[in-house]
Amino acid sequence: MKVNHIAGAAVLALAATALWAQGAGPTDPQIAAIVVTANRVDIDAGKLAKAKSTSEEVRSFAQLMITDHGGVNKSATELVTRLHVTPESNATSQSLQEGGDQNLAALKKLKGTAFDRAYVDHEVAYHQAVLDAVDQTLIPSAKNAELKALLVKVRPAFVAHLGHARQLQASLGKSGG
Amino acid sequence: MTLAVALSGVGAGLGVAKAGTAPETHVVTIEGMRFNPESLTVNKGDRVVWINKDLFPHTATSGAKAFDSHSIAPEASWSFVARAAGDYAYGCALHPTMKGRLTVR
Repeated sequence: MKVNHIAGAAVLALAATALWAQGAGPTDPQIAAIVVTANRVDIDAGKLAKAKSTSEEVRSFAQLMITDHGGVNKSATELVTRLHVTPESNATSQSLQEGGDQNLAALKKLKGTAFDRAYVDHEVAYHQAVLDAVDQTLIPSAKNAELKALLVKVRPAFVAHLGHARQLQASLGKSGG
Repeated sequence: MTLAVALSGVGAGLGVAKAGTAPETHVVTIEGMRFNPESLTVNKGDRVVWINKDLFPHTATSGAKAFDSHSIAPEASWSFVARAAGDYAYGCALHPTMKGRLTVR
């Protein structure tokens, strides 16, 4: 499980940074697709955790992810619609989707405490990777001022979610079992 | 609606501030996962309004449940009149990393 978790984090980190290292950063339509996919992937993981976890704490966190990332995606979708930007699928958004699909497949095989820990471990890795991408790639590359402003506005949510997920990780670690 | 009341309250508060007796209205903006100002001191009888400028819900919930907004939707607000003196640590019940302090004197 630990190996899967580390591998998953590595895939995300790769998706976040290395793919743009050699050329220009992503365009605004590509950033839009990355943002929407990143949020959707975490909403999907949250829905699975809400349905499957037996821990009240984990289910509350999962619901929070569904709500918060849903709110971000609603605003992102409204913005790109208003700007007439059509999200453009790209290597990073595809990699995020594949990472999300793999995470769901791995989680579906687990239950109980093992499920909770795997879900929360992945949430920590995911939020760290997305935060790195926001800081190193998405904000620096965004051309449209409103798109850049939206990324700056939602950044603190990723920081807070990361802190929250780490608290949860520590609390699950202490619970034994 | 609540915002309009809050803003007119601010105006009224400023207008009579020198009298020292009329209740004032104070605004705490919730944005970027923070309460701004993080620490606020008000007089008994003053109204405190929390306005959520983030893209998802927050709450303003004191430790001892002296006050609890429950969920405040994006672009919505919640207010209460601070009637009991005290020092209240509060936070967002949804996001445990968010902390604020309200002092009522």
